[in-house]
Amino acid sequence: MSLIKELTKGFIKENPVFIMALGLCPALAVSNSIENAIGMGGAATFVLLCSNILISLLKNFIPPKIRIPCYIVVIASFVTIVDMTMNAYLPDLHRNLGIFIPLIVVNCVILGRAEAFASRNSVLKSIFDGIGMGIGFTIALVAVAFFRELLGAGQLMGIQIFPNNYQPILVAILAPGAFLTLGLLMGLINLFKKPETD
Amino acid sequence: MGNIFTLAISAIFINNFVLTRFLGLCPYIGVSKKLDQALGMGMAVIFVMSMASTITWMIHNYLLIPFDLVYLQTIAFILTIATLVQFVEMVIQKMAPSLYKSLGVFLPLITTNCAVLGVSIININESLTFIESILHGIFAGIGFTVVLIIMAGLRERLDKSPVPESMKDLPISFILAGCMALAFLGFAGFNI
Amino acid sequence: MTYYIKLGVILFMIAAIASGVLAFVNNFTKPIIEENQRQMEIEARRTVLPQAKTFEYVEDNLPYYRGYDEEGQLVGYTFMAVGAGYSGDIQTMVGLTADYKIFSISVLIQTETPGLGANCTRPEFTNQFSGKEVDELYIDVDSGDIDNITGATITARALTNSVKKASDIIIEQTKDLSDNTKHDYSKDKETA
Repeated sequence: MSLIKELTKGFIKENPVFIMALGLCPALAVSNSIENAIGMGGAATFVLLCSNILISLLKNFIPPKIRIPCYIVVIASFVTIVDMTMNAYLPDLHRNLGIFIPLIVVNCVILGRAEAFASRNSVLKSIFDGIGMGIGFTIALVAVAFFRELLGAGQLMGIQIFPNNYQPILVAILAPGAFLTLGLLMGLINLFKKPETD
Repeated sequence: MGNIFTLAISAIFINNFVLTRFLGLCPYIGVSKKLDQALGMGMAVIFVMSMASTITWMIHNYLLIPFDLVYLQTIAFILTIATLVQFVEMVIQKMAPSLYKSLGVFLPLITTNCAVLGVSIININESLTFIESILHGIFAGIGFTVVLIIMAGLRERLDKSPVPESMKDLPISFILAGCMALAFLGFAGFNI
Repeated sequence: MTYYIKLGVILFMIAAIASGVLAFVNNFTKPIIEENQRQMEIEARRTVLPQAKTFEYVEDNLPYYRGYDEEGQLVGYTFMAVGAGYSGDIQTMVGLTADYKIFSISVLIQTETPGLGANCTRPEFTNQFSGKEVDELYIDVDSGDIDNITGATITARALTNSVKKASDIIIEQTKDLSDNTKHDYSKDKETA
């Protein structure tokens, strides 16, 4: 597969959230505003990229029997670096994302790509795969956040879009709204996906 | 005694790990298709969550804090959980091979269950005592299992319902989860 | 046997290198994080009690700062009120005048729902506290004078109650002290 394909496959076709149903916890938890969604997407992409690179570099060095714990140490290290750096330089975002920053380490997307791709492919390919999947993940989060923030608060990125007397659909920004929005979006994507597989 | 009751109601209903805190979603969607599978998974998760709460609490308070290594919390916790799950896997393989077969790949996936790492971190963040942490782990696991079993029961029925093609499987499951979350939202703000 | 030792050694090496890197980054970021926190609190203190030119720290059950003006007269107290909101703790800096009226509050940390509970930081809500007696600190739903935030009762109530509770403690801690009025500048470590 050409490198560009490696990059773009994560956007829609193999989108980690909508198609592969990975990384669901942050997809629902931090999609209550676009700003949080982008922040989480960026953090996860960074970790995904770094861990993909390092694991691809070490793929011949790590014995298969202990590969999962090794991947975990690598991923957890990058997550901790992101955690500390965000706490120092972006404290508000750090507070908003809260417990979901350390939870990036169990984001199935990252461990999944390490196991399925980075451990079997070259560093260059892993880079493109990491960036692509990360962007796909971010796209999914932003898509859900778009609807939740717009309907639930009448805002996008904190800017009032709907007129002030708009009565927000509160449930959109609360827990149930997250599930409903994701379900509807998934259904919508399935609707457009069907003709392809015929 | 009242304190334990509060902790239980809070962990199972008011702050349900799946429907309120958004933790444990991947297995929630993945293993909730069959009722007996869900029950087996739930039991395993309760066990792992309580053991994880115990061990991670001790690691944090007896190792990380005294040696000023709190920044290693994420690594230490997740490695502990991975080891624990490996151990549980071996035990189940020996003692209940049929359960081991039916859970399949989902058993090692308990490692990546955000609920397990989540409860460990929450115990520390909310400064729970040792006993409170263990209980929290147990009750949070129970909350997860309750929701998982309800979901499995509903999805078994859903298979026989006329669902539009594009909504089949995942999308309709999320809608269902959303309705359940709506119900659990009613518990919010309980002052006990 | 040596195979397993080799596995252990490799895992240990990777973990050791990881820990080393993290220790390095930690050394770098920890002071910044602590400084951010300190700065935020200094700013907040000045905001909620602007009449005070110097602050003196007092260690107690609920630690607080005494604020003095240029002539060394006690103008009031500043302290943190913490309450459990809808999705996490709400930390509010409170400025109490020497005659125990709320001068001003400033919400420092909250992770409430954006567009709902998060609006508790807005002046429309926080300005209501200014000038209130501590006994008046209840939201209107609880028969008080503070207007509730529609759709975010839990947040409003948690914040209001935490401010009242903390203020009560401060009053209790300071009402009996007789050396309140004059401030000895020679003992100063921090100037506003």
